[in-house]
Amino acid sequence: MADFLFYLFAFLTVLAAVGVVLNRNAVNAAMCLLLSFAGVAALFTLLDAGLLAFVFLLVYAGAVVVLFLFVVMLFDVQGAGPRKPYKTVPAAASVVALALLTTGLLSLIERGRLPGSVPVAAPGFKEFAARLFTTYLLPVQVTGFLLLIAMLGVVVISKRLETKEAAQ
Amino acid sequence: MNALPPLLAAGWLPAQVGLNHYLLVSALLFAIGFFGVLLRRNTLVIYMCLELMLNASALAAVAFSRYNGTIDGLILVFFIITVAAAEVAVGLAIIVALFRLRHTVQVEELTLLKN
Amino acid sequence: MDPAQLAYLVLLIPLASAAVIALFLRRQGALASYLSVAAAAGIVVVSSVLIFGGYRNFPASVEWLRFGGFALSFGVKFDDLAALMLFVVSFVGFFIHVFSLGYMRDDPARGRYFAGLSVFMLSMCGIVVADNLFMLFIFWELVGFSSYLLIGHWYERPSAAAAANKAFIVNRVGDFGFLLGIIWCYHAIGTTNLSELGRLGGPHWLMVNTAIPLLLFCGAVGKSAQMPLHVWLPDAMEGPTPVSALIHAATMVAAGIYMLCRIQVLMVPDALTVIMWVGTITALYAAICAIVQTDIKRVLAYSTLSQLGYMVAAFGLGSLVQGSAVKTALVATGAAAAMFHLTTHAFFKALLFLGAGSVIHACHHEQDIFKLGGLTKKMPWTFLTFTVGVFAIIGMPFFAGFFSKDAILYLAHEKNPMVFGVLVFTAVLTALYMTRLWRITFFGQARSEPAAHAKENGPVMVIPLVLLAIGAALSGYGFFYDTLLGDAFKGVLSLVPEPEGAAHWTMVTIGTGAMLVGLFSALMFYHPAAIDALQARVPVIFGGLTFAKESFDRLYGYYVAKVQQRFAMLLNLLEQIFLAGWLIRGGASAVGLLGMGARALYVGKLNVYVYWFLLGVVLLWGFAAGKF
Repeated sequence: MADFLFYLFAFLTVLAAVGVVLNRNAVNAAMCLLLSFAGVAALFTLLDAGLLAFVFLLVYAGAVVVLFLFVVMLFDVQGAGPRKPYKTVPAAASVVALALLTTGLLSLIERGRLPGSVPVAAPGFKEFAARLFTTYLLPVQVTGFLLLIAMLGVVVISKRLETKEAAQ
Repeated sequence: MNALPPLLAAGWLPAQVGLNHYLLVSALLFAIGFFGVLLRRNTLVIYMCLELMLNASALAAVAFSRYNGTIDGLILVFFIITVAAAEVAVGLAIIVALFRLRHTVQVEELTLLKN
Repeated sequence: MDPAQLAYLVLLIPLASAAVIALFLRRQGALASYLSVAAAAGIVVVSSVLIFGGYRNFPASVEWLRFGGFALSFGVKFDDLAALMLFVVSFVGFFIHVFSLGYMRDDPARGRYFAGLSVFMLSMCGIVVADNLFMLFIFWELVGFSSYLLIGHWYERPSAAAAANKAFIVNRVGDFGFLLGIIWCYHAIGTTNLSELGRLGGPHWLMVNTAIPLLLFCGAVGKSAQMPLHVWLPDAMEGPTPVSALIHAATMVAAGIYMLCRIQVLMVPDALTVIMWVGTITALYAAICAIVQTDIKRVLAYSTLSQLGYMVAAFGLGSLVQGSAVKTALVATGAAAAMFHLTTHAFFKALLFLGAGSVIHACHHEQDIFKLGGLTKKMPWTFLTFTVGVFAIIGMPFFAGFFSKDAILYLAHEKNPMVFGVLVFTAVLTALYMTRLWRITFFGQARSEPAAHAKENGPVMVIPLVLLAIGAALSGYGFFYDTLLGDAFKGVLSLVPEPEGAAHWTMVTIGTGAMLVGLFSALMFYHPAAIDALQARVPVIFGGLTFAKESFDRLYGYYVAKVQQRFAMLLNLLEQIFLAGWLIRGGASAVGLLGMGARALYVGKLNVYVYWFLLGVVLLWGFAAGKF
């Protein structure tokens, strides 16, 4: 059962990712992104990292995608223009890039195999929290500062432009 | 669901889902995201593909952590998520500011660093 | 104090004096002058101790520089030759320093002058005591520099500045050959230490090749103003008269002769022949030019040139003959004769120049002899001492020059009749022009205002004249050296050729005869008048002689303007094309091209940058996979 679920959600995630890349409409791309996030969260759950799946959905699907949609809708109202004519150089470059990536993946499948491992009993919430607030306390604090600075930075960047425009 | 055992027996699918499968998915996601960064012309979509790549790495970290029995991978992913969120916020603010200056989000128009 | 320290002290005293004056006493001329004279006195004292105390050939050498296998050391070689030269330099130098006290009393730039004099004393003493050729060369250049400083003392006058340049540049030409010779000597023999060279020579001379002594002689040609590099000496008279006395009469120009004597070991017969002829021709040419000069100092300058030619010819006459023991004696006699004449010449030429300086000072810097006259009564001491000097130089019996010139003529008589003939004729001319000078300057009526108001100078200027006159009178006698000076220079002066028996009277007759011919023809032909009698009566000869004098300057002028200048412009063109163009700007453009190429990578498109990123990842991947 677990295997089937894995294949299902894996397929879903990859498909959604392809959708993000190939979709011409930015809003559609954002929606596909949301779907891929959901798939990844499911995969997390399959890996017995439930808390992380939850946090993942909260932050990414709840905040990041919403932000993206806000900005897309704010600026990209008209959607993508007509399909640009076919150009040689970018096309060739794309083919080369695709070939490289495929080679990489194949080589990973062939040689990158790690010895088969048996899933071990998953650690629980308590251990997670304990570890987070003892060994990794410093990164937690630093991340707090990081978020503060990010917030301040965003406010400053947006605000400066507004005052300039207000002055004009 | 019932198709699986015959496929398994035929040797088309590997025996049991293990670390390698998760790593393959992660690699695929990363490759697709990278390809998106290369191809797309809309700055916002490029940014979305960057997030895809980040997720791929998070998935790999969780898979490793799970199959090695350590907890540190999970904690790392915790921080990845946090930092990624902050990064998205700041990045989008910059794109907004850039839009206000250039009135476009098409990457070809943003060529201030040319030569 | 041991002799090595004394020898170093001889060099350190003038160095200290020069340093102190240059740094602190530039404005206080009086203090500077006293300090410099005190330094000169110090040098006299210390060198007297060295010379008359019998210290000879003591070891004194300090290694100064070392480049791998090559070591440049700083040392002192004090044999009889060096002692004699040091005696001349220190005593004559001291007298001239004292004279300068009076002569330069009214000069505002006295401090600079006396600093220059101290630098000169340092460099000259350095040349005298140097024990290897490199050290000699260093002080050689220093002497040239101090000569430049002092000739150009009144540099506001363009003629003086030009003369200083000329002296230095012409000397440089000679020094080029000199340096080549030194390097070749080092390369061929492995050492330039004079004592070592002497030891290596042993019973035979070190006959390596003809080029080395000839190249070294180039230095003497430049410094001692032989032809063709004689053109700087007459122009050097632009400097103050004591400078002309010290540097361009007694000591610096004699340095070339001294250097030749130092390197006797390296001489070969062919080189000696060349040296002999160069000296002879110079002597003759200079005497010819001296007859038509109107400036009192110019006459004396050409006379110096002529006497230097005598000395060089004397050295060249000590030629080698096949057969071992005779070789050594003969070159040494040439050197001894040259040194003997150098000593007597130093005394009487310094005397003559200082006498001229006395006249010039008294007549408010009037130097044209046709504007002087009537000075016998007004300046008795000067007249008397000048007369002694004139008698000495023309070879009047019983005065110093008679004996030294006699020695040279005897050597020429034995060796080479043609040279002998030329030298005798030059002796006639010497007597001729010196008597002309003497007659026109001092006798008759005063022919201009300054001469009419001249009066004898103070004792500061007269006493050195008297002392030098004593030297000029006595320095030819053997007993002067044996008895008075304690036979200090036996090594050199015992080798002076003295004619014996019948030859003795032959030489006396010829020498005196030549002198008398010149003396009386001058007395009859030249009367104290306002114009040159030769110019008046035989303008053809006068014109010819003047042309002879100017020919060299014109030749050099033509060469510099037409040949050298054009060559320099050609080189400039090549330099602009190749060095400035290809190499420098080309190199810069190559770098610029690289920069442009790098700039072209920045197309400004994000996608391109990402492609570069992909490429980088692939390379890293390959590297990690062990592909390369």
